[in-house]
Amino acid sequence: MSEKIPSAKEVLIKGSFIHNPILIQCAGLCPVVAAAASLKNAALLAAAVSITTLITCIIASALLKKVQRWIRMGIYLIIGISIICPVLFLLETRSEAELPLVMKIYLPLIAVNSVTAVHCEQFSVRNPVKLAFYDSVAVSIGSSAVLLICGAIREIIGYSSIAGHELKLHATIRGAALPFGCFIILGFLAAILKWISAYRYPSLVPDSEAIVRTKPKKEDGEGTVEVDVFDEFWNESSKTDLAADEYDELFDSLDNIFDFNGGEDEK
Amino acid sequence: MAENKNYKSTQVFGDYLIMLIAPFALSFIYYGSSAVYVTAASIATAVICDAAASAVLRKRFRLKNLDSIFTGAAIAMMMPAGIALYVPVIAAAFAVLVAKVPFGGGINAPFVPAAAGFAFSCVCFKEKIFDYSFVTGAKFLGSSSIASMLAKGNSVHLNSGDLIDILCGNSAGPMGTGCILILAGCCAYLFVKRRKALLSTLGFVGVCAAFAFLFPRVNASGLTSVILELSSGSLMFAAVFFMTDFSTMPQGSLFGILYGAVGGLICMLMRLSGAYEEPICFAVLLANAFARLLEYVPVRKGGDRK
Repeated sequence: MSEKIPSAKEVLIKGSFIHNPILIQCAGLCPVVAAAASLKNAALLAAAVSITTLITCIIASALLKKVQRWIRMGIYLIIGISIICPVLFLLETRSEAELPLVMKIYLPLIAVNSVTAVHCEQFSVRNPVKLAFYDSVAVSIGSSAVLLICGAIREIIGYSSIAGHELKLHATIRGAALPFGCFIILGFLAAILKWISAYRYPSLVPDSEAIVRTKPKKEDGEGTVEVDVFDEFWNESSKTDLAADEYDELFDSLDNIFDFNGGEDEK
Repeated sequence: MAENKNYKSTQVFGDYLIMLIAPFALSFIYYGSSAVYVTAASIATAVICDAAASAVLRKRFRLKNLDSIFTGAAIAMMMPAGIALYVPVIAAAFAVLVAKVPFGGGINAPFVPAAAGFAFSCVCFKEKIFDYSFVTGAKFLGSSSIASMLAKGNSVHLNSGDLIDILCGNSAGPMGTGCILILAGCCAYLFVKRRKALLSTLGFVGVCAAFAFLFPRVNASGLTSVILELSSGSLMFAAVFFMTDFSTMPQGSLFGILYGAVGGLICMLMRLSGAYEEPICFAVLLANAFARLLEYVPVRKGGDRK
């Protein structure tokens, strides 16, 4: 029984949006959190991730299908290093502006980025080169978008500037530029992405009904009527937002353990 | 059932708000209208953010739960008077939008939202949060706080006048957290209302006092060190209002004491070698995380844990 081959559009949507490598699959978080604190750094990281992923995925799909898995992992590493090292060398020798220290640390680590390894193993070696190319393009778009958005938000909020240009905001929130701030931003971005993808592509997202409120149509005698079936869900969730049992248990234990009435009630 | 739950939520946070009236009144006496502005800004932000988040999530917003009001008020009490208003506003917004709403509301939150908000503002606005230069009237140590004096490790000798100033909170520091006598009154109120909750306060204060006695940071007697440590910063305030938090406190008497003791130990260790003058909120957050671990502790049948 042959598996259904996904269309290019489906691969692009899934790779970049629904299964976003950073926000949904949580791969390659380290450079995002540690180094993408400004738009320039984020752009540099996005370019590095995109180039590495594109080349490695295509090579994996074209040449490595029959190679054993444990050998493939090493080959991904070698390919990543052989791409990143010349880029880093060029940046350091030819570029007028010196790389920040944090980029000198995290840019070489893109060579062993988990985004690339995951997509090579899960998709590229199991599919034809054309689809692997589409997938790598989708992954590059998805991860680059997250890196750039995250870098821009962190620079605006954390340093009151964008791409080095001062914005003169009234207050800067330094925490946004720190790793914990990035985790919080990523959390909110993931929630927004999950909601949008469930709203826009409900058939491709599991539990989309629970995530987004939609208006499916229901047949009645005189045609179709729009029914808000998730009203019930939202109403129920609003009713159960407090942990009633925990409350009762704690109050009961309060009464039992510190019974200052001397057990008169029991009598 | 829902009404019953609302009543209990209202009761718990209502008790906290009643307890907060006294620190707020004292802060008004010491700092005047500045205390009112900071408190109003913080509470308004917390309520507005909670209402907005409820609207986005399509949940019914219940002001009478009082949790967002308590969050705003508690954050304001830990702020210095005269601070730029955007600091408590951002702290309250962070507390509600990041530490409370994503986890399903006040009683489900794994961390004390007010502690998270204050910790965030400590990281982001360190200079402003610990700037106590807004001083009205004569105070013990002038515009220098007891916490900063302890951090410097000076030599101290207290006379009876100083002691009264310290106990009454007449020293530079957070607006409503310095008066030990009022916080002792809050403990008494809590003892009447929720006795078991005070076990974690007991563990917290006990460990802090023992640590201060054994390892004084100032060149003074053990007792002086204990008085100064307990009255500095927001230690007692956090012990009364945060360590007794309904959602984060573990069940069982032993676990309650253990939870408080761990919080106290973390707090004193962070005071001893931490980067911040007042790391109490970080200690509370770490203790909250530790409380979750206690849920995995197996207990024999008939013991504390069910």
